[in-house]
Amino acid sequence: MSEFRITLRPALGSVTSIVSENIALTPLPEGHVVHVLGKPGDEALAKRLGSLSDGSAHAVRAAGPGQWFIVGNAAKSHADMTALFEALKPDAYGVDQSQGRVRMLASGPMVERMLAKGTAVDLSLTQFPLGHSTTSVIGHIAAHLTRVADDAFEIMVLRGFAESLWDDLAHMSAEFA
Amino acid sequence: MASLIPCPHCGKRPKEEFTVKGAVLDRPAADATPNAWMDYVYLRDNPRGRYDEYWHHTSGCRRWLVITRDTATHEIEASRDAALARE
Amino acid sequence: MTSYRLESGGLIDRQSRLSFTFDGKRMLGFAGDSLASALLANGCQLVGRSFKYHRPRGILTAGAAEPNALMTIGQGGRTEPNTRATMQELYQGLEAASQNRWPSLDFDIGSFNSLLSPFLGAGFYYKTFMWPAAFWEKVYEPFIRKAAGLGKASYEKDPDTYEKAWAHCDLLLIGAGPTGLAAALTAGRSGARVILVDEQSMIGGSLLSDTARIGEASATDFVLTAKAELESLSNVTILTRTTAFGWYDGNVFGAVERVQKHVAIPNAKAPVERLWRIVAKQALLATGAEERPLVFGGNDIPGVMMATAMRSYLNRYGVAPGRQVAIFTTNDSGYALALDLEARGIVPVAIVDSRAGGNPAYTGKARIVKGAVVSDAKGGKALSSIVILKDGRTENLKVDALAMSGGFSPVIHLACHRGGKPVWSDAEAAFLAPQQLNGLQIAGAALSTGNGIAACLSEGAAKAAVLVSEMGFACTAASFGAVEGDMSARPEKPLWSVPGVKGKAFVDYQNDVTRKDLGLAVREGYGHVELAKRYTTSGMATDQGKLSNINAIGLLAEARGISPGDVGTTTFRPFYTPVSFGALAGAYHGTHFQPVRKSPLHEWAKKTGAVFVETGLWYRSSWFPRDGESTWRESVDREVLNIRKNAGLCDVSMLGKIEICGKDSAEFLNRVYSNAFLKLPVGKARYGLMLREDGMIYDDGTTSRLSDEHFFMTTTTAYAAGVMNHLEFCAQALWPDLDVRLASSTDQWAQMAIAGPKARTTLEKIVEEDISNAAFPFLAAKEVSLCGGQLHGRLFRISFSGELAFELAVPAGFGESIADALMEAGREHGIQPYGVEALGVLRIEKGHVTHNEINGTVVPGDLGFGKMVSQAKPDFIGKAMVGREGLVSADRPQLVGVLPLDPKTSFRSGSHILAKGAAATLENDQGYITSSAYSPHVGSTIGLALVKSGSTRHGEEVLVWNGLREEFTPARLCNPVFVDQANEKLHV
Repeated sequence: MSEFRITLRPALGSVTSIVSENIALTPLPEGHVVHVLGKPGDEALAKRLGSLSDGSAHAVRAAGPGQWFIVGNAAKSHADMTALFEALKPDAYGVDQSQGRVRMLASGPMVERMLAKGTAVDLSLTQFPLGHSTTSVIGHIAAHLTRVADDAFEIMVLRGFAESLWDDLAHMSAEFA
Repeated sequence: MASLIPCPHCGKRPKEEFTVKGAVLDRPAADATPNAWMDYVYLRDNPRGRYDEYWHHTSGCRRWLVITRDTATHEIEASRDAALARE
Repeated sequence: MTSYRLESGGLIDRQSRLSFTFDGKRMLGFAGDSLASALLANGCQLVGRSFKYHRPRGILTAGAAEPNALMTIGQGGRTEPNTRATMQELYQGLEAASQNRWPSLDFDIGSFNSLLSPFLGAGFYYKTFMWPAAFWEKVYEPFIRKAAGLGKASYEKDPDTYEKAWAHCDLLLIGAGPTGLAAALTAGRSGARVILVDEQSMIGGSLLSDTARIGEASATDFVLTAKAELESLSNVTILTRTTAFGWYDGNVFGAVERVQKHVAIPNAKAPVERLWRIVAKQALLATGAEERPLVFGGNDIPGVMMATAMRSYLNRYGVAPGRQVAIFTTNDSGYALALDLEARGIVPVAIVDSRAGGNPAYTGKARIVKGAVVSDAKGGKALSSIVILKDGRTENLKVDALAMSGGFSPVIHLACHRGGKPVWSDAEAAFLAPQQLNGLQIAGAALSTGNGIAACLSEGAAKAAVLVSEMGFACTAASFGAVEGDMSARPEKPLWSVPGVKGKAFVDYQNDVTRKDLGLAVREGYGHVELAKRYTTSGMATDQGKLSNINAIGLLAEARGISPGDVGTTTFRPFYTPVSFGALAGAYHGTHFQPVRKSPLHEWAKKTGAVFVETGLWYRSSWFPRDGESTWRESVDREVLNIRKNAGLCDVSMLGKIEICGKDSAEFLNRVYSNAFLKLPVGKARYGLMLREDGMIYDDGTTSRLSDEHFFMTTTTAYAAGVMNHLEFCAQALWPDLDVRLASSTDQWAQMAIAGPKARTTLEKIVEEDISNAAFPFLAAKEVSLCGGQLHGRLFRISFSGELAFELAVPAGFGESIADALMEAGREHGIQPYGVEALGVLRIEKGHVTHNEINGTVVPGDLGFGKMVSQAKPDFIGKAMVGREGLVSADRPQLVGVLPLDPKTSFRSGSHILAKGAAATLENDQGYITSSAYSPHVGSTIGLALVKSGSTRHGEEVLVWNGLREEFTPARLCNPVFVDQANEKLHV
């Protein structure tokens, strides 16, 4: 065993979650995020991805034509990740973004109002149903949004922007918190 | 203040999510004449009215689109995926 | 006498008294008052001084068009100048101050300008400030600046917050008067998503000021019932205190909500203003109509007021305008006011009606003077009398208030914001919105000024029903009971020029433009509407001519003998009313001005003592000062020397990183790089040049082949985003037939450069695999196992410094831990962290280029990379043009090194190169220094330069010339590689 012990520094390790009746904002564990590079229009692949996920709700998220994210709260070992990449072949290639993307959860009755301060996407339940995903700018930062409950969205952002987006979201939440 | 670009994959989005590249032109063959290349690289029409432009949904699905836009009114007549439009 | 509060009536809460100050004087009002109504209730009619002549001015309107009652509200950072008192809700403790007066509102020195008025007419500035030219900056500009402007903005920081938000709806209703309310009830009941915006503090619009009865209920009760129903519908959003100010592409409407401008101390967690961008499938403009003033002498004296405004103050606020009230009207609007005044016990002393027939339906007690005009109003700071002109004879009448109505203009501004031009209608005697607008319809008085309450209700309901039915909602138009007392004013022939005028007759109140000024503009050849506007400044003030523009057009038309339609309007542009910079900036100022992008090694660098520099959105480590070092140069020199002697660790995580997958990845790379990539072996990295189609270099970087169908590209930090966009363009738009898939992985990896003779021995403690020179030679690349298999990363043997060097990429969240481990592992070898400054010195010493050299004007041959332009490949980006005559000529600027002859002297980047003995002129320019640094290795400043035919001029003496600082440094051109020209160190 090496003399060096390797430890993770979560990108949002130093933020304080917002917990209130109307709005809540909390970082999610830095588990796994696998970027699946398929071919646009490959419906068969889309159907197959669910079985490659950890089975939790909304684990597979659309990310533009032919691309998906498979996410989960548990970190994947190098061997598991390699096995997943192999399982994706030959239709798709997997790219490990577990550390490149940071996930957070925004929830509460005012969540649509809060996010509408940043994104032009119509977040009403009829237009953005449960499980729907899209990438959009929130303020000045591009982020991937997934509706995970009637009043909850997961937001996934490039790691380098995570703190900045968190600050913006906290600011946007202030009036409801 | 605001302007929306329709993305065939994501719906209408504010222009700030996009990068515009300019005229949609066919790239000449490598051995095309120097004049053909000069036209492709440097010469542009500047029409008043309908115009096909490449737009990239940079902060969205990251697809290159062909947007048919009226340069006088900014009305957008059509929006399609640059790759998928060819097939 | 003055205006005063009536004993009863109005939508004010007489139980809730609010105290406020105006110019320091304490006054009382009620909840529900506007600042204007409260001032009038206190008998305060003189509220401001005019812009140019400093004439006493009173409150003219009860709404958004107010040109006179502009005040400065608040204190300190909350100071807000040019606030319309008519739009400002009263709150406890409000502090208002008048503007544009000195030393006081009552006695204003500037009013002597009025005596100079013969000289201050239209075009005065243009004529007076022409010459001598020497006076422009020193005399005229300070004078004009002193005279210009109204209120003064504060220099203090605004303590409040602002924000922006998006909203989406099926139907947007702009204006919550009878038309908008009927439409909202109709569409709301159908289930459609409705947003109803209104600039007032409560919905109701003109109904709040009306005495009509709708289906047995008072207009006010009708509004309250409608409000209750709308608030019970979850699909209806009501935005009051919200001005829709613009119509934009994609049917987006801009609106500003004054969330907390009506409270003394705003809740700090919520914004004071919110900028809405409302995306509407359809919108209905129900903005009503604006009453036009009449242009007679003294029409600006405090006490003269619009007829509908006087009705508002009377009915909505319980404020009487005076005791001897006259009405001057061209239409029936004046009679509605007369009846309301009489109902409150104030019989107008006269209704002066320009029409010969007057209003036969009128049954009130006031004296009617038909076929007559008010030619002049008299008084100083308050109205005292009017001159009535009828059949060539004048009559003086003592009055303390005068209402005027010159007809109505539909409020169609938004309908004209996307290029449509207003259309003149003789029948309506008004400009109407253009027809056939996509996504926007017009209803109610905004469509036809003759529409009374009943017509507005039924039209609003009908249009809303059609619009939402077309969207698939089951909908029938709401119906309402009969309207009693519906005083609609039919359009009448406008009275542009009032005859017999003696005094100053104002067209544009805010900019002090008189009828004479417009006449002068026509006589001097500036009669075109666009020219007249600029010559006279009519319509150019903060009110943008809401009251004045149509009168100005009418007067220009008369003077030119043409129709107002032929004069046309100036262009309507957003914003309808002024929008604060705070609202436009939203939350994006201060620390939120732009995002901060942090490297995964940011915290490591911070704790290691880095001094950061902003590069784009990134914060990068510049250098790592140590105790005893007093200048950055000391730190950088130490870092550089230590790398060449021992080892250094640098955060290079900001480099763009792109995963390229797919069966055709190699072919794809072969087409986007100018050099060959098709046969790059697995486990190897290669330096690549990416060209633009014009042959110039776009970006450079290394790309490694991790497996047959998987490459890993690095780009420069600055071009990371651009290269990704470019590759996606190539893959999707140019060659969609290639199987290539791209993903940015910049943020996935913490990437570290470990450089120096001791780099390997340091790394060997971390990396499990054999990284000896034999097993892992220069340009090797592979996945490695770290720290006993705790982690996997990617290791590349590449060097920017010219030393034995590696780049190690590890999953970002573990970057700090690995950097710590490497520092620990290298401690015995003297490893030190280094920043981008040292990185810069190292690469200049090695003659490596960056975007200082790749500046958009250079082709590969200019940098000595001629061999990297493949002759064998059938096609790649830039191939067709890179061989053009001008890009291969022998006198191209080429990369060279530059050394000062005297090592104690130096030169700066950007300095130009002159041949020895040549004069310092542009003609003699030989090129310029692209990069320079002090090289501790060489012991002097060194530079890289692009110099004509530079590659053949090594050894030539030149003069480095900085023309801005007049610095001349004798120097010698040389090989651009200053260390290890044989490249031996790379391969050890």
